[in-house]
Amino acid sequence: MKKYILKRILLMIVTLFIVASITFFLMKIIPGTPYSNPEKLTEKQRIVLDAKYGFDKPLAIQYMKYLGGLLQGDLGYSFQFEGRTVISMIKDRIGPSVMIGMQAMVFGTIIGLLLGIISALRHNTVVDYVAVTIAVLGMSIPSFVFAALLQYVVGVKLQWLPVALWESYASTILPSFALSVAVIATVARFIRSEMLEVLGQEYVVTARAKGLKESTITVKHVIRNALIPVVTMLGPLAVSIITGTLVIEKIFGVPGLGEQFTLSILVLDYSVIMGITLFYSALFIFIVFIVDVLYMFLDPRIDLSKEG
Amino acid sequence: MIKEHKEETRQQISDDLFTPLNRDQDAERIDMSPPVSFWKEAMQRLMKNKGAVLSIIILVMLSLLALIGPSMNDHTYKAQNLAHTHLPPKIEGLEWLGFNGQDVKGNDVYEARGIEENYWFGTDEFGRDLWTRVWKGVQISLFIAVVAAALDLIIGIVYGGVSAFYGGRLDSVMQRIIEILVGIPNLIIIILFILILEPGVTSIILAMVITGWVGMARVVRGQTLKLKGQDFILAAKTLGASNTRIIFKHLLPNSMGPIIVTVMFTIPTAIFFEAFLSFIGLGLQPPLASLGVLIEDGYKTMRNFPYKLIYPAVIISLVMISFNLLADGLRDALDPKMRN
Amino acid sequence: MKKTNKIFMMLFLSLVLILTGCNFSSDSGSETPKNDDSEEGKKVLRLTTSSDIPTLDSTKAHDAVAFDVLYNTTEGLYRLDQENNPELALAEEHNVNDDETVHTFILKDAEWSNGEPVTAEDFEYAWKRVMAEQGAYNYMLVTAGIKNAEAIMEEEMSVDELGIKAISEKELEITLEAPTPLFVTLMSFPTFLPQKESFVEEKGDQYALNADNILANGPFKLTDWTQEQGWKFEKNENYWDKDAVNLDEISVVVIKEPSSAANLYETDKVDRVTLTTSLVDQYMDDEDFTQDKLGGTTFLRFNHNHEYLQHAEVRRAISMAINRDGLTDVILKDGSAPLYGAVAEGYYDSPEGTDYRELNGDFNKGTKDEATEVWEKAKSDIGFDELTVSINMADTEEMKKVGEYLQAELEEALPGFQLELKSVPFAQRLEIEKAIEYDISLSTWGPDYSDPMTYLDMWVDGSSANRMDYQNSKIDELVEEARTETDLSKRFELLLEIEAVLLEEDAAIAPLYQRGASVLQNPRVVDLIRHPSGADFSYKWADIK
Repeated sequence: MKKYILKRILLMIVTLFIVASITFFLMKIIPGTPYSNPEKLTEKQRIVLDAKYGFDKPLAIQYMKYLGGLLQGDLGYSFQFEGRTVISMIKDRIGPSVMIGMQAMVFGTIIGLLLGIISALRHNTVVDYVAVTIAVLGMSIPSFVFAALLQYVVGVKLQWLPVALWESYASTILPSFALSVAVIATVARFIRSEMLEVLGQEYVVTARAKGLKESTITVKHVIRNALIPVVTMLGPLAVSIITGTLVIEKIFGVPGLGEQFTLSILVLDYSVIMGITLFYSALFIFIVFIVDVLYMFLDPRIDLSKEG
Repeated sequence: MIKEHKEETRQQISDDLFTPLNRDQDAERIDMSPPVSFWKEAMQRLMKNKGAVLSIIILVMLSLLALIGPSMNDHTYKAQNLAHTHLPPKIEGLEWLGFNGQDVKGNDVYEARGIEENYWFGTDEFGRDLWTRVWKGVQISLFIAVVAAALDLIIGIVYGGVSAFYGGRLDSVMQRIIEILVGIPNLIIIILFILILEPGVTSIILAMVITGWVGMARVVRGQTLKLKGQDFILAAKTLGASNTRIIFKHLLPNSMGPIIVTVMFTIPTAIFFEAFLSFIGLGLQPPLASLGVLIEDGYKTMRNFPYKLIYPAVIISLVMISFNLLADGLRDALDPKMRN
Repeated sequence: MKKTNKIFMMLFLSLVLILTGCNFSSDSGSETPKNDDSEEGKKVLRLTTSSDIPTLDSTKAHDAVAFDVLYNTTEGLYRLDQENNPELALAEEHNVNDDETVHTFILKDAEWSNGEPVTAEDFEYAWKRVMAEQGAYNYMLVTAGIKNAEAIMEEEMSVDELGIKAISEKELEITLEAPTPLFVTLMSFPTFLPQKESFVEEKGDQYALNADNILANGPFKLTDWTQEQGWKFEKNENYWDKDAVNLDEISVVVIKEPSSAANLYETDKVDRVTLTTSLVDQYMDDEDFTQDKLGGTTFLRFNHNHEYLQHAEVRRAISMAINRDGLTDVILKDGSAPLYGAVAEGYYDSPEGTDYRELNGDFNKGTKDEATEVWEKAKSDIGFDELTVSINMADTEEMKKVGEYLQAELEEALPGFQLELKSVPFAQRLEIEKAIEYDISLSTWGPDYSDPMTYLDMWVDGSSANRMDYQNSKIDELVEEARTETDLSKRFELLLEIEAVLLEEDAAIAPLYQRGASVLQNPRVVDLIRHPSGADFSYKWADIK
C-alpha cells in the first residue's frame, strides 16, 4: 500500500516534469512574440526585451532556468499583464472557476444519476431511449450554443437571473447550469452501463431467486454496487469541466481561469500558458490519484499494488 | 477505462509443462473453425435492438447525403453571390415545416428581393448555399473523425498488443509511458499542437491522435491480457501455432468486441472536439467548413438567422446520438453476458 | 448515517470557503449601478470593455483600454478638444523660441489626487522613465523630435541627456532636434503624461497595478479596479477644470463575448456596447444603433520580392478588382467604409480646412472590366498565364470574412489568378509579415497620432512597419522633408505627394477599408467624444440628460 502510493507520487512528479518540458519546448516553437503591442514593436525594442527576459540565451540555459524556477515554485511573470506573477493570477482566477465547477459537478451528478438509473431500469424501452437521447444531446450540442440560449431565455427574456458578469451569487447559477450539461451526460451514460452490468450479475439473480422485492433488489444491490465505480468518473468529469470553463466563462463574463487561459493563448503569453497548463495537469493527476486510492478503499476486489 | 479488472492469470500453468507438437503437422487447424457463430449471433442480437438499427439507418443516410448532397444542386461550397445573402430556407411544398423563406419577423425575403431560386437550407452572409455547405461540412467532420479513429485504432492495437503480448519488462516500460500520457490533459496538448501546426484538416487529425490512441491501447492491452491466459490460447500454443497466427487468428478476433465499441465512441468524441476547436478559433482554413465551423458561425447570429445554426446543430446531434446508440447496441450485442 | 452527515458538513464548509474566495464584484460594492435610481441625482455612465487593463503605468501602456483610463484620469500638457484639435491642458502657456527647437511650458496650479502639486519635474521624470524602461511607445519621443531620444533608444547616450528639463517647479523646457510640426499634436498622447516620482518609487513594482497605487490629476480618478471584472471612476474634485465635468461616476465592466455585452445592454445594465459584424443584422433597426468611423485601416501588403507581385501593374490589377462597397456594405456592415488611399478619411484637414482624402481622391479605383484589362496586359507584358498566391491573415472573424470575400472577388475578376487563404493566429500573422514570408498579407494599421504622417512614414525604406521590402527613394526624400517642414501648407502638399507616389505610381499596397464601429448607445448619453488616435474616448464632457 505505502509502496504503491510512493510509486504513484513518483510517477506524478515525472508526469509533471514531462508536461513542463513539453509545454516549454512547444512555446519555443510557436512563432510570434509574447510582448505587448506586437503590431508596432520595432526590431530594436524586441532585442532589448529579449535580453531583459533572457530569451537571447541558448535554449538549454533558458530551460534550466525555467526548471529551476519551477522547483522554487516560481512560474514567472505575465507578459500581457506586466508586473503580475503567474502564481498570483492563478490564485485570483481559480476561485470563480472552482465555484461554478463544483456547482456544476454536484448538480450534474445528481441529475445524471437519476437519468442513468431510470434508463437502466427501463432498459430498451422508450424511457431508456429518451434518457439516452437527452444524455447524448448534452454531449453533442456544443456547450456554447446551450449557454447562449440560456442567457437569452433566462437572462434577457425572463430576466430571472443576471445575463452575465460576476456580481453576486445569482451570477453563478447560469454558468454552473450551462457547465453541468456535459456532466449530466457523462454521468448518466456511465451509470446506465454500470447498472446494466450489475443487473446481469449472479448475486442479483440470486437475490431475485430468493424472492426479494424488486425495489429492494434495485436499491440494495444494483444501485449501491453501480455507484462505486462512479468515483472513477471524477477524472473525466474534471476534464469536461475544465474544457467547459474555457468557453462558458467567456460567454458569462466569469473572471475565471479558463477564460484567462484562452486569452493567454491568443496573445501568446508564454509564462501564463505554461503556468496554467501545469496547474491543470497537476490538478488532473491529483484527482486521478485520489480516485484510485478512494476506489481501493471502496472496492476491496481491487488491488492496485499488483497493477501492470 | 480505469476498471479493467485483472482476472488474468488465475492459474499459472508454466509453459514447460507442455511440449509443442511438431509444427508441420498442422494439427492446430483441425477443430479451430473461425468463430463465425459468435458474430452471427451478435449480429442477430444487434438487429433486435431498435435503437441500434435506427442508428445504422440514420448514419447510412447521413453518409450518403454527405457524399451526394454537395452535388445535388449547382452551387459549390465556396461560390458567393452577394445578391443572395442571408436567405432563409425555402422548399416548395414543405412550407409548413418552416421551409417557407420567411425571416424571423415573418417577411418573405424571397418575394421582397425578387429571388426565383429556392435555397433548401438558406444562404449565409456571402450568399453561399447552405445545403451544399452543410453536407460538405458533414463530409469533412466525418472524415476527420473516421481518420482520427482509424489512426487511434492502428496505433492502439500495435502498442497495446505488443505491450500485452510480450509482457515483462517491455510491458512495464510501455505501461509507465501510458500512465504518464494519461496524466496529461489532452485538451491542453491538442490546443498547443494546433498552435504550432498550420491550421487545417491534417493538423486537427494529428493533434487529436497524439493523445487519442492511449485509450485504445489500454483497451487492447486489457483484452489481450485477459485472453492470453485463457485455455484456448494455451491449447493453440500447445498445438504449435506461431505467434503471428495466435495474434491474428485468436487474440484479435476475440478482442474485437470492445475494440469496435471503443472506436464507436471515439468517432463522436472526435466530431465534438473538432467543433470545440472551431469555437476557440483553432479550426479549419476558410472557406472550408466542418459542422463545427458552421455551428460556430450560426451561433453568432442565432437570434436573427436561426436556420444557420439549426441544420448543422440537428445533424451533429443526429450523428452523435446515432454513433452512441450504435456503440451501446454493439456493446450489448458483443457482450456474452447479455445473451438472455 | 453519521458518516454521511460528516461528509455533508465538509461539503458545506468547502462551499462556504469557495464562496468567500470568488470575489464577486458586489463584495467591494461595485455592482453596476442602475441609472434610473436618480434619487441622489448622481450621473453615472456605464460602459463595457472587451479586455482588461494590462498596465496603467503610462510609460509602458500600449493599448486602447489603458489609454482610455490614463487619458481620462491624468492630464498632460495638451488634450484633444471636442473637435479633435489639441488645446492646452495642464500647461498655462506654451512658448516657442525663434528656430522652433525650444518649447517652454508654464504649468497651471494643479494637484495630484494625494494632494501633492503637479510640477515640471513630474514630466521630466516620466519622460525619462519612458526611455529608461524601454516603454512600448518610446519611439513616440523620437517622432516628437525630442533631443537625443533616438540616440538614447539606440543606447548610444544615457537617459539623462534627453531634451527635457524642469527649470523651476512650474516651468518646463523641452528641446527638439529640429523644428517638428507634429510636436503639439503628439503632446496629448498618453505616453507623454506626467508621473509623480516620489509616489512611483514608493510603490515600487506594485505601481499602477491597482486603484490605490496610481495617482490622478485629470477629470476623473480611478476608485476601484478588479482584474478581469471592471473598474470605476469618480469625478476628481481637485481637477482644475472640474466645472466642465458633468458625470459623477463611470463604471466599466469587462465582458469579452460581444453577444453577451449586447444582452447586457438589452437588460439595461450598460449604456453603450460595441457590436460585431454578426450582431449588426440583429440591431440594425434599433433606434439606439449608431455607427462611428474609426481611424484604423485595413489593406493588403504585397511582397515586393515576389516574382510577379513585384510588378506594379499586377498589384494594381489586384487592387482594382476588389469591390470595396460589397465588402463594407454586405459582408462587414459594421460601419467600415471603402478606402482607396493610405490615409483614413474624415480626420485630417489641410491648413485650409479640406479633408486629406478629398484632396487626394481615390487611387486605383475601377470596374471589374478595367481590372481585367490591366491584368491581361500585365500578364502579356510580363509573360505569365497563371498566378497562384497565398494570403497571410489573422484568424479572427472579421479577417476570415474579408479573406473569403477577396478570394471570390479576385478569382472571378482576374482570369488565371488563384488565392489560397492562410489564416493563422494574430501573433503569427505579424511574425510572418515581419519576416516577409508571405505573398500577400491582410494587414491593419491604427494611427498613433492625429496626422496623415502616421500612415505614411511607415513606407520609408527600412522602417520597422514596412514589412514588405518596398522601397522608393522618392518616398524616403519626401518623408524626410515633411518631418521638418514648418510651413504647414507646404507640409501638407508633401504629405499628399507621398500617398500619390505610394499608390498612383507604385500601387504598393491595396487599401481596402477604413474601420468602423457599430454601437448601441443609450440616447441619454451625450458628448462622449471619440478620438481617432491615442485614447479612444474623452469622458470629460460626457453627460447624461
